[in-house]
Amino acid sequence: MNDQLPLRLRAKGITKSFGAVNALADVDFELRAGEVMALLGENGAGKSTIVKVISGLIVPDQGEITLDGDVVHLTSVRASQEAGIAVVQQEFSTVGSMTVAENLVLGQNSAPAWWSPKKLTVNAKGILSRVGLDDLDPNTPVDKLSVAEMQLVEIARVLAKDARIIIFDEPTAALSDAEIARVLDAVKRLASEGRSIIYVTHRLGEVFEIADRVTIFRNGRSQPAENVADLTVDAVVAKMIGRELGHLYPERSRSRGEVLLEARNLKVPGIRGEVNLTVRRGEILGLTGQLGSGTSELMQALAGTNDVLAGEVNLEGTPVDLRSRRRGIVSGVAYCSPDRKRDGIFAGLSIRRNLSSPWLGSVSKAGFVSTRRESSEALRSATDFTIDTTRLNSTVGTLSGGNQQKVALGKWLGIHPRVLLVEEPTRGVDVGARAEIYAKLRALSDAGVGIIVASSDTNEILGLSDTIATYYRGKQTTIKPASEWTEPDLVREVMHRED
Amino acid sequence: MSTTEAMSVGYQNRAATRKSMNILRNWALPLLLVLLFVISALLVPNFSELTTIRAIFLQTALIGICAVGMTALTLSGNLFSLGVTPTVILGAMVYVWVGEASKSMWIAAAVTIVAVLVTGVVQGFIVSLGLNAVIVTLAVGAVIYGVTALVTKGALVEPSEKVDLAGFATFAIFGIPLPVIVFVVFTAVAWLLTQHTLIGRKIFLLGANKSAAEISGISPRATTVWAFILMSFGFGIAAVLASAQIHSVQADQLPALTLDTVAAVLVGGCAVSGGDGSPIKSAIGALFIATVAQIMVLLSVPDGLKQLVLGIVVVALVVILHVLRKAGSR
Repeated sequence: MNDQLPLRLRAKGITKSFGAVNALADVDFELRAGEVMALLGENGAGKSTIVKVISGLIVPDQGEITLDGDVVHLTSVRASQEAGIAVVQQEFSTVGSMTVAENLVLGQNSAPAWWSPKKLTVNAKGILSRVGLDDLDPNTPVDKLSVAEMQLVEIARVLAKDARIIIFDEPTAALSDAEIARVLDAVKRLASEGRSIIYVTHRLGEVFEIADRVTIFRNGRSQPAENVADLTVDAVVAKMIGRELGHLYPERSRSRGEVLLEARNLKVPGIRGEVNLTVRRGEILGLTGQLGSGTSELMQALAGTNDVLAGEVNLEGTPVDLRSRRRGIVSGVAYCSPDRKRDGIFAGLSIRRNLSSPWLGSVSKAGFVSTRRESSEALRSATDFTIDTTRLNSTVGTLSGGNQQKVALGKWLGIHPRVLLVEEPTRGVDVGARAEIYAKLRALSDAGVGIIVASSDTNEILGLSDTIATYYRGKQTTIKPASEWTEPDLVREVMHRED
Repeated sequence: MSTTEAMSVGYQNRAATRKSMNILRNWALPLLLVLLFVISALLVPNFSELTTIRAIFLQTALIGICAVGMTALTLSGNLFSLGVTPTVILGAMVYVWVGEASKSMWIAAAVTIVAVLVTGVVQGFIVSLGLNAVIVTLAVGAVIYGVTALVTKGALVEPSEKVDLAGFATFAIFGIPLPVIVFVVFTAVAWLLTQHTLIGRKIFLLGANKSAAEISGISPRATTVWAFILMSFGFGIAAVLASAQIHSVQADQLPALTLDTVAAVLVGGCAVSGGDGSPIKSAIGALFIATVAQIMVLLSVPDGLKQLVLGIVVVALVVILHVLRKAGSR
């Protein structure tokens, strides 16, 4: 029946490259009136880039976009908005201290200069009922709402702009099941009004629940849209991964030594149930799960930056004190966080100062830093992690993502870690640097450092780890050797647990 | 995505612009200062007199020692202290009281510095609990002012004629007054501390990125307290020198010191957010502020206008430095 709906948006031959990286290569994409089109693909497959092209954030190098048959030039966010395209962001753009009603008129195009309180309320009521928030008092400050209600208000704000095409960028990433149902209902209602929906997600279950068609991206290329009704979960997963692991990942070591790190009956806020893990010498343990699955909380607990409610962690047989990061460092636990800009690097300082930050004390005597020892140790770390040694005085903020990540990881070499915890080791990192980082992690493991990698990239986890533990919604679900996993199994495990 | 994009767009050119912007940022203030001296020597009557130069440097010593101390706090990401004046005045009074009692300017100086350090440690602990440094220093400053005003009932605190406490101000080596020498030495020591000691480095790291510093095992609390200690050490020295110089102290003296100190740190190019700056630059900033002020004294500019001009100069320079920093770090 969908085939009868008129075409609303058509993108043809869209190509966009950033330097040597082809983010989009000759991508075709189409969207009919009143349909929900899901966009699927792994991290870096190109789905967020095409969304940015349609919303006017990125201007493509080549290609043509037509809207209801007319060629349009979406060269800015404004142009895209005027063409009737709106984006519901993953991050909220509401002003917390203002009321729902006030937020709904913020940024509205044809808004009058003055709103009476009564008019504000009436206006808000009308919009809110369309997203299923009939019961919400429009005079509630946004701060007081639940995350799902905020997401719905965010959708309502877009509605207030009266858009023909609405893009949802992972709207349910931070929501619970019951809350997700409310958001999905709102999406369905919008489609039934004749609006076209582009729905970007990582959750396969949602695709089968609300989407009419799906476009799958892989390596910057699109595949022709298909009716969801004709697809199975297995078929979708196969289309999403469909590439070889290749030689991006280093060879696994055959020898397995004694137990380095052992977590027993560990209870951590953010994770339901107890966690038991062991890492042996020569073994890389991979933790994987979607955002909010609990891997991050677990890693932080092991690093000493999150509370530990119960249980113990032993390092080569002796208990580790996890009460602070400082103590963790003293006992040889290195921790590389998932968001390097936030807490992994000092963007304004030089590479050398970044590298030396965790082990300054060990090159100091009587409170004075030995610049000579600091330099030689930093040089060794930089050489080891293939960081350009001629640029040790450059500020880290000016480096590429890959080099920043190498600095964020390389700074831990100087503490001579016994265990290295890495979250999202290659987020925003180009392929070349990825291979180097993987090789280095494997080399450290072979040298006797216990390594735990947490990543939402299942391909990376499968390629790099020896043992894989999966997490879903704050619970450890399965743990078994990597050789017993196939990628489709793993993807399904972290995305599609319908229990 | 955005990083790869930045790389692709004329990467080489950007690096070059960045470099020249940074050079300009580092040398803008010294150049301006030289220019100011040359123009003033030509146009302002009596500017090149020895007494004028001496006055400028004595004034710089007071503002500069405070500014160099405050640099530690600003570098640590804790903005500024707004309680410079009351703290220095309290110290100056302690110097007179202890000097009177002990008849020794050395004992008086030691006790003064310790007393000011105590006020700093207390404020450091309060701030390390998570409070804003500006608010805490403003509040504690007000309390200190209240106490000094109450205790002295607003009267002058001055040493009797039997004791001589002015030695620190009158002593000179080769004609250079001791306060100026102390200022230069203090700046050099502060530079050494920030660049080459563990405490100094931790202060830099904390100001550059608090979260990253914590993950690297640096204690934000302890480091913040240390920043306050370093700053108070400067305030203590400044209190001794000021007391020795002005002889009699009153609770509402030195009203412009807090603002001049903040202005010197800002004009020196310290990043308000922390992690970028240098005691030497703040010292040059202090010299600049003191020079502009002295020029206006020579030109007999009325008080209101003096404040206005100084304000405009500070704002203009801070904006320029900010723009240059942005251009240099992009």
